[in-house]
Amino acid sequence: MADWKKASLSTQPITLDPNEYFNTSPEFRRQQKDRLAMQANLKRQYQLQLNNPHRTQLIEDPALNRWVYARNHTLEHFRPTLRTSLLGILYGVVPLCAIFYALKRDRWLRSGSQHW
Amino acid sequence: MMKILTPTLMLIPLTWLSSFSHLWRPTLSYSFIISTLSLTWIKNMSETGWTSLGLYMATDTLSTPLIILTCWLLPLMILASQDHMKTESQTRQRLYITLLIFLQLFLISAFSSTELIMFYIMFEATLIPTLMIITRWGNQLERLSAGTYLLFYTLISSLPLLVALLMIQTNTGSLSLTSAQFYFSLIPQHNFLWLACFLAFLVKMPLYGLHLWLPKAHVEAPIAGSMILAAVLLKLGGYGMTRISTIVDPISKNMTYPFITLALWGVIMTGLVCLQQMDLKSLIAYSSVGHMGLVVGGVLTQTSWGYSGALILMIAHGLTSSALFCLANINYERTHSRIMYLTRGLQIIFPLMAIWWLSFTLANLALPPLPNMMGELTIIVCMFNWSWWTIIFTGLGTLITAAYSLHMFTTTQRGALPPHITSLTPMNIKEHLLIILHLLPLLLLILKPEIITCWSS
Repeated sequence: MADWKKASLSTQPITLDPNEYFNTSPEFRRQQKDRLAMQANLKRQYQLQLNNPHRTQLIEDPALNRWVYARNHTLEHFRPTLRTSLLGILYGVVPLCAIFYALKRDRWLRSGSQHW
Repeated sequence: MMKILTPTLMLIPLTWLSSFSHLWRPTLSYSFIISTLSLTWIKNMSETGWTSLGLYMATDTLSTPLIILTCWLLPLMILASQDHMKTESQTRQRLYITLLIFLQLFLISAFSSTELIMFYIMFEATLIPTLMIITRWGNQLERLSAGTYLLFYTLISSLPLLVALLMIQTNTGSLSLTSAQFYFSLIPQHNFLWLACFLAFLVKMPLYGLHLWLPKAHVEAPIAGSMILAAVLLKLGGYGMTRISTIVDPISKNMTYPFITLALWGVIMTGLVCLQQMDLKSLIAYSSVGHMGLVVGGVLTQTSWGYSGALILMIAHGLTSSALFCLANINYERTHSRIMYLTRGLQIIFPLMAIWWLSFTLANLALPPLPNMMGELTIIVCMFNWSWWTIIFTGLGTLITAAYSLHMFTTTQRGALPPHITSLTPMNIKEHLLIILHLLPLLLLILKPEIITCWSS
């Protein structure tokens, strides 16, 4: 347990947070309580909707809506950078030129000419 | 021809003059009758290839399956739209059905026209009802942007086609498809003419680089809009390309390379995009782009196997894609969300619908003996014969198609039901009927594929 390493997608358990044991100011505790209250409120809203017997629609998740909007509207926020330009060339220009060259050459060779 | 067009035209007074309680069922039944009548065109008895010759309209083995598909789709669209239109006012409901009927009229006229100008006018005319359906009855705010994309992509690309057609008319004196084999040598062969003729159809298909309008339009359209877009309007592009390529023939040999390249790469790229989609309708839309990329590749090789495979894939994909949109809409009506992860693991609560999901997923990934497989295989073999390099991309494309189709199926049907889904409305028989009516032609076509293989006797 003491070997827990920070990872990008995993949250640190409270019991491994050094602040829990060494930084117990009232301010810190108050902030912790506020965070827990917010999370509990969100959970309560979700549970209310989940267990509502008259619910006919899906529970709306604003985070999901934002993610879907972001996935669908990438073109409006496109910016030509080095990375996007290289990706465009790699997946767009190079394969098309390569296929064109290959097809042309093959057909040219088939039409009887012995060398390209 | 008149025995199909006049009843379709008369459906419009039927929608406006019948009493409200007799609005949906009679239009549905009469459109079924019209679609059954359209099956009489399957028998192609003429030696020249063209049957039911009228002044400006005729059918042949290429246009007959597409017209039958169009006629078959109108009752399915009416069946699919009835539920979500319940909350609209009377006039709006009648207007919606009228727009669908107009689409049917323009599409039948487009597919059966022998004059290219008439085809062009009908091709453009189909845009108007589609635009009205998407922008008025779409569900999200983005429908306005979707309508704009659809309108301007298609209009701007088809204006050169008008110029090209007028130029062909002045040079040869005729634009009739029945005599195209005689006058095409009079057309001045020029690269821009070829490009002008083909650009409209490439955008409509859509070809990979020009496909931006399609996911937007499909996602924002209501179910009937998605169905007609996926099933028939895309095929207008393929049909137009097949017709025009007989006219601008010699120069096509050099001009097709960039577009075959784009089509092949598009199959792979759209497949990869599908793998990371979280919006179900968007996934099906991108899958349409991929399949149509194969059709473009087949048509542009200008061999008879290519045209044949293209037509088979167009018909099979029309039914499959329309059915997948119906299935997605069935989920959407219950949850009002297109996000795949919100409606996953549905097999446990809707087992019969899971069977339909499975069958259309398998159709989408081209399982033999379904016609999707026959069409894709024909196109892949035809392109392999054209140049062996294409097999890399078509093979990889087939693999990725299988991957995203199964991903779609396992996400929506298999796995655990999410805990927030506590009650969903049960499936009614209308939804099952809708899907069965998509599946039945697809299964029957396994038994008689000669109808859709475009072999002229």
